[in-house]
Amino acid sequence: MIDGVPAAAVAEAEREWKAVRERAGFEGERLPGSAGLQHSHWDWDRKHRSTKGLLAYRMLGIECNGQMQGLMLLKMAGCNARLPEQAGKDLVYVDYIEAAPWNLKSVVAQPRFGLVGVVLIAAAIQSSKENGFKGRIGLHSLGQAEAFYRDKCRMTELGGDPEKQDLVYFEMNAAQADKFVR
Amino acid sequence: MTLNLTEAEMDALESLCKQKDLSKTAVLRQALRLYQLLDTRLAQGDSVFFEEKDKKNRSELVVL
Repeated sequence: MIDGVPAAAVAEAEREWKAVRERAGFEGERLPGSAGLQHSHWDWDRKHRSTKGLLAYRMLGIECNGQMQGLMLLKMAGCNARLPEQAGKDLVYVDYIEAAPWNLKSVVAQPRFGLVGVVLIAAAIQSSKENGFKGRIGLHSLGQAEAFYRDKCRMTELGGDPEKQDLVYFEMNAAQADKFVR
Repeated sequence: MTLNLTEAEMDALESLCKQKDLSKTAVLRQALRLYQLLDTRLAQGDSVFFEEKDKKNRSELVVL
């Protein structure tokens, strides 16, 4: 796990991931429900540039076999919890999270590594705990990832958010976080 | 590092600690993160707005 992914590593991941998506015919944004990847337009280079040096952001990556297997951008400040039992308390907001395309069943028949998303979510929880937020995390999910956060991560679904293009907002409280990392 | 705070500042800090269920260090870290973020964005020429709950009024945060 890399905490504070260097610009060169992000650029390399972006280049490699784009090539795989292009080969698989997944480049470009498509409509929800289509066979495309809803996150294929994400530009990690730009995200890195716009958050570099800012204490409010933290970029984590998983590297294995010399390649980036997943990236995640966390927002560490200015995000309040919405669940009634923790409303108004700080949480770690998962701004962006992505597994390399060769680890996605929707892109390749046989993913190289599994559990990339699970490990990254566990890292977000760890980051929340380190900052005194007791494991509280929140995120807005693309349609294709909702089942992962609902069923695999067991986060609480709080419905579509009109402030965020109606993306469904999910949140995890301290008890859910403890259960997830156990 | 020693931090010298007035009584009012210490009251505000303790109130935030209670409200947010955070230690004093954690609250001050959050404050620094937000201050740096705001300062950076404002220096880039971006604007920060406060919008009332009913969305009727919006005011810009002006830093001189």
